[in-house]
Amino acid sequence: MTRWGMAADLDRCNGCGACVVACHAENNISTVGDEQAARGRAKHWIRVERYWEGDFPDVRLKFRPVMCQQCGNAPCEPVCPTYASHHTEEGLNAQVYNRCIGTRYCANACPYNTRFFDFFNPQWDKPLQLQLNPDVSLREVGVMEKCTFCVQRIQGAKIQAQAEERELLDGEIQPACVQGCAAKALVFGDLEDPESQVSRLSRSPRGSKLLEDVGTQPAVAYLARQTQA
Amino acid sequence: MDRRTFIKLTAITGTSATLASCGNPENEFIRFVPEEDIVQGVAVWKPSVCPLCAAGCGLTVRVMDADAEVVREGQLGLVRIAAAKKLEGAPEHPISRGGLCARGQAAIQVTYHPDRITQPLKRSGDRGSGQYEAISWDDAIAEVVSRLDTLESAGNQMALSFVSGGRAGHRATLVDQFLSRFGARGATSYQLFGDDVLRRANALSFSRGQMPTPDLPNSRYVLSFGADFLGTWNSPVAQASGYGHMRQGRPGIRGTFTQVESRMSQTGANADAWVPVAPGTEGVLALGLAHVIMAAGLLPGSSAGRAGAIVDGWDGGLADYTPEQVAQVTGVPAARVERLAREFAETRPAVAIIAGPPLAHTNGLFAAVAVNALNALVGSVEQPGGLYFTPQLNVAGASNAAASAASPSPSIEALASGVLAGESSPEVLLLDGANPVFTTPRAWRVREAFEQIPYIASFGSFLDETSILADLILPDHSFLESWIEGVPESGSLSAVASVAPPTMRPLHETRATEDVLLEIGRGLQRPLDLPWQTFEEMLAATFTALPAPEAEFDGWTDAQEKGVWSGPLPAALVREATPAPVPDAPLAYVPPMFDGDAGQFPLHFLPYPSSAFLDGSLAHLPWLQEMPDPLTSAMWSSWIEINPSTAEALGIRDGDVVEVTSGQGSLRSAAVLSPGIAPNVVAMPVGQGHQTFTRYASGRGENPVDLIAPMSDSTTGALAWAATRVRLSRVGPADGRLVLFAGGLREHPEEHR
Repeated sequence: MTRWGMAADLDRCNGCGACVVACHAENNISTVGDEQAARGRAKHWIRVERYWEGDFPDVRLKFRPVMCQQCGNAPCEPVCPTYASHHTEEGLNAQVYNRCIGTRYCANACPYNTRFFDFFNPQWDKPLQLQLNPDVSLREVGVMEKCTFCVQRIQGAKIQAQAEERELLDGEIQPACVQGCAAKALVFGDLEDPESQVSRLSRSPRGSKLLEDVGTQPAVAYLARQTQA
Repeated sequence: MDRRTFIKLTAITGTSATLASCGNPENEFIRFVPEEDIVQGVAVWKPSVCPLCAAGCGLTVRVMDADAEVVREGQLGLVRIAAAKKLEGAPEHPISRGGLCARGQAAIQVTYHPDRITQPLKRSGDRGSGQYEAISWDDAIAEVVSRLDTLESAGNQMALSFVSGGRAGHRATLVDQFLSRFGARGATSYQLFGDDVLRRANALSFSRGQMPTPDLPNSRYVLSFGADFLGTWNSPVAQASGYGHMRQGRPGIRGTFTQVESRMSQTGANADAWVPVAPGTEGVLALGLAHVIMAAGLLPGSSAGRAGAIVDGWDGGLADYTPEQVAQVTGVPAARVERLAREFAETRPAVAIIAGPPLAHTNGLFAAVAVNALNALVGSVEQPGGLYFTPQLNVAGASNAAASAASPSPSIEALASGVLAGESSPEVLLLDGANPVFTTPRAWRVREAFEQIPYIASFGSFLDETSILADLILPDHSFLESWIEGVPESGSLSAVASVAPPTMRPLHETRATEDVLLEIGRGLQRPLDLPWQTFEEMLAATFTALPAPEAEFDGWTDAQEKGVWSGPLPAALVREATPAPVPDAPLAYVPPMFDGDAGQFPLHFLPYPSSAFLDGSLAHLPWLQEMPDPLTSAMWSSWIEINPSTAEALGIRDGDVVEVTSGQGSLRSAAVLSPGIAPNVVAMPVGQGHQTFTRYASGRGENPVDLIAPMSDSTTGALAWAATRVRLSRVGPADGRLVLFAGGLREHPEEHR
């Protein structure tokens, strides 16, 4: 079996935001404009959070990229009345847009605030629609959307491997955020394979999971930024 | 209903549906026959080069079929094209190494921008009105040719000016050849956040007048003076890659990073130790470290060689830079100066970098030379883990251009003041890749000067504050539609030259600027006789001259397939280092000067390149507008960063509207209280505040350049953009102009209609 997971090394992450734009580009996330953004309707499947500590001049700032944690015990799934939010065999918290009726219970239940509601139909000023990725469906008004770990890339790599009659290689699948990261702060792979890079990183003594104590069993491990006296 | 009736009925309904759509061109889509062979649903990957900054990252572009709307012979229709879909960093490219920054990710929106200029335009209204009418390429080129012929006939070739964004490479070499053969001066290049001070310092210290390449992956201690090397400066993708390796890429070794600056940058946020310093005193701190290192006998001053010798007092061990004296000037406690010096000297290898605000003071060159001396003292120049200089390809030599280059050009400031004083009179100005009306201090009066120039032609793809003054617009292809190249000045330890053929066919009636210049050159009454008929020929000349990676390869074909050539340069193709100028006297610290009296204007004003828009040239890309700023989460807006204690003293709360006033003018923006800024400094990102720059950027936010005083570095004359003082006052409560991404659903009650 496979359990897709990610490791984010906060000692490599420098907060640049390349993952945020890469995700927009890959997943056909529509921009909403300033007025709607001011109402909290901007959609960023991955975001860079910042935590300030201390006061000037002894001040520190820490970045943390946060996307759907693809929980093993996901609060968003049991609350969905239409099974739009459901768990795949490979551990993804999948969202079937065609089933979604927009109750937003899932967003309510998600402790990570990584689900986004489409308040209107997406719109691209022509010819910006030419940038759209044909592998990713567009979401219309009234549905929830979220990080998929770039499931289209996972499926594409599987088909490719099948055609070449071989197993998937570790590191062969790179979600857009992982591929774009210049500092190689993000690593994606199969947590069930103890030798995969993501498994090894997830076992690091620096590792922890976000809000692990609420029992969500996240598939994303964060490797703490080290400090030096 | 039987099957036959059903088919009849659908046939009739189909016909009537077609008839009903007549007269409404929107519904009258016709599918044209594609011009290219495309396999539907199958992606191909092609190399390209990111054009958005000078770093020159190699791209790999995902290309797939898409339906584009086109007009052919008056008929609107759809045609299947092979369209770029996604940009990734090219894994084998020595600069990007598979990564790509946020801006590069958004570069594809340049090509598909709805407000791109789609064909040549001739001004039809008043200058600056933005009213243009369509003109054919033949007529447009004939118009430029006739203007240039007029100058030639009058023997007034010097009245041709060319203003560019100052990017080196084949395009710049072609422009230079065009200008020199015509008899004009070289191109005037201008960048708000240019690095001329640093280049000059490197020429003085190391005889290398170019940008440095810090060897971050092999370094164990990085000391940065204000350099936003992970965000906006130099070669951010290469540097971020090296930084990641420095931190966690070597088993058991984690490099340390200290940042010295007065406002915490995105880069500074990652430092182990963040050291605030009084603006304009960074060079003093660097010499303070050198003093400690020499006084403690850790290293002899002589090891710095020439880089040390050009610093005043170096031979005497920098007696005036004791930790106590340094503490007094910089505000960094003496004990910390001592500790930093020992860390820097005792952790091998270590590298010091300086860029950004420290160089944008009246004593900027001194600061850069001081940091260079510090590097030289600890033996970090051209050594693993230290500072390198990327070997530079001699583009003119490799591409068979003539040896003679155009004579030196005036600065944009001198160009403008010459026009306004009536001393020089450019008759024709060609504009390429620069928007000086937006990015120069108001006191230079560039807009006013340009308005007096009789004829301006622009090659830009968008109407901005400068190109809207153009009489003629000759729109360039986007980088995905044309031959694209790059000769990076830094980011790699070995020489790099990138090249890629067009990724896709042009969407619009645009033409590659290089080819337009070549055509103009051929059409003049005295043809310029440039050595190439097309830009492709010029690139072929260079990449054929470069050694092929393997003997049986054809270097030109190989480079096109990979998108890059990299390796050791043959001696004949190395661009010779600029002869080192000898300073008249050793450089000494002179306290920085600021515009504005400290009593009236108590705060230092720090404009900085925004993570999303750099100097504002990328504010037209909607993905970047909606990208939350790394330090504030602001989107689609401008803001002013203020220390909470300063804000409290002025009665300002987070989000309030404040007015910031310098001797040059004032503007209003939203306050963002930030602990990462010194109490006597306020900072504002540059990039917003466009009046004219597409639907996404126009009329949005404020341009802090409006407040910058025309101060300059005392030696190089470069704009000292951090040398302005301001005062601040509260105007009123938050009014919604600042949009933050709070990181989740912040839904407001919806009014029902």
